[in-house]
Amino acid sequence: MGTAEEYTESSTDSRLQQSAIHLRQNRQAYLLVAPAAIFLLGVVGWPIFETFRLSLYRSPADSAIETYVGFQHYVNILTNDFFPQLLWQTGRWVLLGVAGKTLLGLLIAVHLKDDIWGRKFFRTTFLIPWGIPYAISAVVFRWIEHPQYGYLNAILLKLGVIDQGIGILGNPDVAWVGVVVADIWIGTPFMAIIFLAGLQSIPEELYEAAAIDGAEKWHQFRYITIPQLKSVLLIATLLSTIWTFVSFDVIWTMTGGGPINTTATLVIWIYQVGLQNGNLGEGAAYSVIGFLFLMVFAVIYLRIYTRGGDEL
Amino acid sequence: MPNNQSDLSEEYGIDRRQMLGAIGGGGIIAISGCLGGDSGDGGSNGDDGGSDGDDGGQQTIQFLTMGVGDNIREFFEENNAQLEEEYNANLEFTSVTWDNAQQTVNNRVDGGEAPDVARWPARWIPQLVGKEELVPITDMMEGEFGDQFYQGMADGCMYQGEYYGAPWAASNKCLYYNKDIFEAAGLNSEDPQIDTWDDMLSAAQTITEETDTPALGLAGADAIETGSQYYHYHWSYGADLIDDAGQPVVNSDEGVEALKFYSDLHLDHGVTQSSPLSSTRQDIRQLFESGSLGMVIAHVYAGINIDNSDAGFDYGIMQVPEGPSGRYSLNTIDGISIFAQTEVEDLAKDLLRFYFEEDRHFEYASNKGFMPTVEAVGNRDYFQDSKNWSPFIEAGQYARARPKLSNFNQFNNRMVQAIQEALGDQKSPQEALDDAQADLEAEMQ
Repeated sequence: MGTAEEYTESSTDSRLQQSAIHLRQNRQAYLLVAPAAIFLLGVVGWPIFETFRLSLYRSPADSAIETYVGFQHYVNILTNDFFPQLLWQTGRWVLLGVAGKTLLGLLIAVHLKDDIWGRKFFRTTFLIPWGIPYAISAVVFRWIEHPQYGYLNAILLKLGVIDQGIGILGNPDVAWVGVVVADIWIGTPFMAIIFLAGLQSIPEELYEAAAIDGAEKWHQFRYITIPQLKSVLLIATLLSTIWTFVSFDVIWTMTGGGPINTTATLVIWIYQVGLQNGNLGEGAAYSVIGFLFLMVFAVIYLRIYTRGGDEL
Repeated sequence: MPNNQSDLSEEYGIDRRQMLGAIGGGGIIAISGCLGGDSGDGGSNGDDGGSDGDDGGQQTIQFLTMGVGDNIREFFEENNAQLEEEYNANLEFTSVTWDNAQQTVNNRVDGGEAPDVARWPARWIPQLVGKEELVPITDMMEGEFGDQFYQGMADGCMYQGEYYGAPWAASNKCLYYNKDIFEAAGLNSEDPQIDTWDDMLSAAQTITEETDTPALGLAGADAIETGSQYYHYHWSYGADLIDDAGQPVVNSDEGVEALKFYSDLHLDHGVTQSSPLSSTRQDIRQLFESGSLGMVIAHVYAGINIDNSDAGFDYGIMQVPEGPSGRYSLNTIDGISIFAQTEVEDLAKDLLRFYFEEDRHFEYASNKGFMPTVEAVGNRDYFQDSKNWSPFIEAGQYARARPKLSNFNQFNNRMVQAIQEALGDQKSPQEALDDAQADLEAEMQ
């Protein structure tokens, strides 16, 4: 048995040799993916690097001069009283939005899987919200919830529930609800279609066998549908989380992050600080923080879901 | 599983030539992806040629503008074509929406793709002067060309002693009132005698008591114009936004009084439309234009819109009410500027001269619904005798512009937050403005 140093050296040599052999053996494959990898580095890697670099500078929009400030922006952000509120609002937006879209999508998919009357019609109809540009859907929802012209107020006034229009989007306590509802409406069809595809790939025999064994519908759902849908659920909710986290159009169109910043999320704030207010360096620092949040979330999420050794 | 190169190639049927072809193809795609450019500004024209591109001696000039609606699109199409013919030039005209406007300009400037000429709010001038991206046109403005403008409007394009643009258009504000609603409330609809904010409040209270219609439009949404609407009150109470040294002074006693009056209109007196925090300036203007609001502070085009619609009600226009320290009408100047990146500066100056020819400027101002900036145009009967235009011409004496700050958006956003906090009863006006003052001081250090 050699010393630790010898062991490490020989181990390193061995690994290097193995890597070299692996590289030789797969040279063609690496050559084939090289152009795409270089392209990706250019359009993804470089902007990420540049954003991080910018976050270390004070870069006002009214000057071409960048001043190095180190991690000052990060210190300012983390000690800013508004930052915890921003994180809470972002978390609430993502959690409720993804949960709502997942549950509703699953509910719709389960029912569309059955041979119900008008299934094709419903399948097509449910896709419509997803096919409409988000900003347009957001404008429609803003209009629905409008205190003077909105359908919602008109109905409530007709029913005598209220005696004057209420402005959901203008109420700091509930504006976020109005925005989340719109986001769920927009995002649910995608989840439903993904889940429907997953449901249709589950062998029917599993349900028949379970039925013969006396399993109720709920038990079939709990012990067959959910486990069989696990990988689909993982991908769909992961994608939905990322999309919801970075979603901009709906909130910006409906409330602009207001009233009193109560519907602002990290992405909205990045836009306001970096582009509207012209503090590019500080905006970049917020972007890096958001990026790190997403990375950490994705890693934890994937680890939890693949803990049992499942692969995607 | 094959584990060497030749086996791999054989199994998947890839020979060396195919592989090289694939690599080459991938490389071309990657390189073209990197090289392929797009201004990405959502404009109406693709930009595939530089402004200095010659085509048989023909120069190309890029003209960027904002918010070209249906009422003015034809004007630009016709005149751009005429300019191309007169100057043997190729004009690339791009219009972007106001939402994207500032970002588009910044992106294009930072990306080295600035337009040659752009028409935009004059308050953006300091930001680009700081980057040395605008051409001073002081020589032009101090000569015959500049003499044609109202001096106050021309000064709106001046920054640090130099003119960085010519005043393209201007707008003032006045107080509109719905004569039918005033009559229904028992108020004098022909001469309502609203001179001060208290007069306005008194009329609003009467309308609220006597009718079911909201009396007064109040902007409170998270939008830049909420600040614009509120500043009428702020200034008329004797408060200011910045001092002579350019430092924020938003929480003076007068400012607190003004914000208290503004928020009390909704919170204490209940004379506004429901939920002002949901309402942008456009919302309240449209509410008035639909005949569902008693009074609103708005531009000249509110009246023009009503005249062109089948709204079916009569309206009057008064000056914005006076406060304890005077009367102010928020004045906005749009300038037209030449960018330092241009390689066709002479042609750009020709474009400015072309668009400010008197008849052409008259056509623009009358169609678009903006105040003319050329004095001879403003003196025409069309503007002097018009029921819609004359109060706005008169309002010129009360005109006041927002301060020229390079970070005005940031300043204004913080003020809007303070207005919302007071209007939403989250903070007292004093607390809201004290907090805004503290934040603005920190930001402007």
